[in-house]
Amino acid sequence: MNRAVIIFSFFIFYFAHSPRSLASDIVWHGFGAQGIIQSSDSNFINDTGDASLRLTEVGLNTSYRINQKLRVSAQGMYINGGNRFDEGLRLDYLFLDYQLLNTQSWNVNAHLGRYKNYHWLYSATRDVPHTMPSIVLPQSSYFDAFRDVSLGSDGISLTAQHLNGLGEWDVRWSYGSSHIKYEQTENLMSQLATGELDHDFDTQFSVSFTPLGSGLSLGMSLLRTDFSYKPGDNDVFIKGKAKLGRVMLSLSYSAEYWDINAEAMREKTEFKGFFRDGSDADSISEGLYVQGRVFVHPDVTLLARFDTFDANRDDRNGTKFQQNSGDTIPAYFAYRDQLTLGASWDFSANWRVRAEYHKIAGRARLAPVFIPDTVINDSKYWDIWALQIIYWF
Amino acid sequence: MHNIHRIGYRFAFALVMLFCANLTYAEQPQVQVIVNNNVNVTTLSESSVRWIFSMRQTTWQDGSAIKVYVLSKQTPAHQHFCKNVLSMFPYQLERMWNKLAYSGLGEKPILVSDSQEMLNMISQEPGAIGYVFSTSLPPGAHAVRIVKEG
Repeated sequence: MNRAVIIFSFFIFYFAHSPRSLASDIVWHGFGAQGIIQSSDSNFINDTGDASLRLTEVGLNTSYRINQKLRVSAQGMYINGGNRFDEGLRLDYLFLDYQLLNTQSWNVNAHLGRYKNYHWLYSATRDVPHTMPSIVLPQSSYFDAFRDVSLGSDGISLTAQHLNGLGEWDVRWSYGSSHIKYEQTENLMSQLATGELDHDFDTQFSVSFTPLGSGLSLGMSLLRTDFSYKPGDNDVFIKGKAKLGRVMLSLSYSAEYWDINAEAMREKTEFKGFFRDGSDADSISEGLYVQGRVFVHPDVTLLARFDTFDANRDDRNGTKFQQNSGDTIPAYFAYRDQLTLGASWDFSANWRVRAEYHKIAGRARLAPVFIPDTVINDSKYWDIWALQIIYWF
Repeated sequence: MHNIHRIGYRFAFALVMLFCANLTYAEQPQVQVIVNNNVNVTTLSESSVRWIFSMRQTTWQDGSAIKVYVLSKQTPAHQHFCKNVLSMFPYQLERMWNKLAYSGLGEKPILVSDSQEMLNMISQEPGAIGYVFSTSLPPGAHAVRIVKEG
């Protein structure tokens, strides 16, 4: 990671100071956000349940056009989300963008390097607060404990856009892998995992279609990814492999004073090894969120969202899950229904303040996912509130 | 029977009023899409203009770069342009541009402060495209006729 940050800084320095570069070839953008967040009866933000200022996102990006066909893009950021993900600097993306074809009806590009996940509605700019509908995203699809792996990968990505008599088409494909830090392994598997989790590969494909003049956009995406685990000393986990496949459908409708966004996902996970007792953790999980926003004033937006997730569609209320754990993990760790209400106000150009409240039943996907913290998370119902101020340029 | 007639007249009157309202609307200032004189284009379809302003087409047919200029989202000209030329709402366009600029996929258009700066940039910059409320154009720029579809 440090090496990546150094390379990123070097790139910025090089291009900013290169005598050959013209001012118009370099574009800079950035953002900063600070918030306060509390989830008093869960370990979602912290273990104490106190209000926390660990809600910081700062980023700077640049795009340098080498010529009409070739461009380099990079973004570095600092992020702190408490227990939600590991704190620190990260290189969000750094890739070479080569334009293969650009006409009145086609735009085809290849990206080589660390690219973003362009396949889901909010994945491409997940850490850029002013581009997101809320502070905490719908966890069925945008699972915080597994955020790093779904942000993007190091590899190759192809994007094609096409305009025809029916409408606009977006087709994307990507293949790569990402490095999983120890904190991420801990978030997913618990502190009892002392070994190394590797992301072997990740391939995604997605299509979205916007019929002409309809305000509607429909999308579908497929994901296949493999992980392998090498146990460490005194590890409760054993050597293993996990295969994960996800199918997602999305819908967006934009009217003048309101919009609707929804994504449904089905995720199949198969394990080989991993668990010492040989327990069968294979499952098909399902999730769906539907989000509506109303633009009550050009600068004020209200949001309501319902998000639901079942870790195993054959055991939606978690009865079997609780039994299989020998009654050590309550059934409510197998599902999660989350209602979110929020409001945002653009009080000045490029400044936004927003607040939101989440009421949640069930605790699926709370980190650590494999061995959840049942001491702090001792009830089915819990809530989150957050307030955030954002600046961007 | 008498009642039916009365309803009929009222309905016809309402239709005439609607038509008049539409005419009044049509007489509001029109936005025109303008390009630099080195751009050899006089007509564009509505979806082509949308394709360009959503930053998907980045080169003109001769391979030269397209430079897209826009006014801020609060200006009446931008709102008028989005709704009546692109058939989109300003927030949709902004969402697309943000996705490009903050995920590395592309670049945002260049923001100018007012219509005077817009006219200056379009007339000076080769490959430039923008829009203004109907006005007399400087020597370096010409208007593009927009063909509505459907």
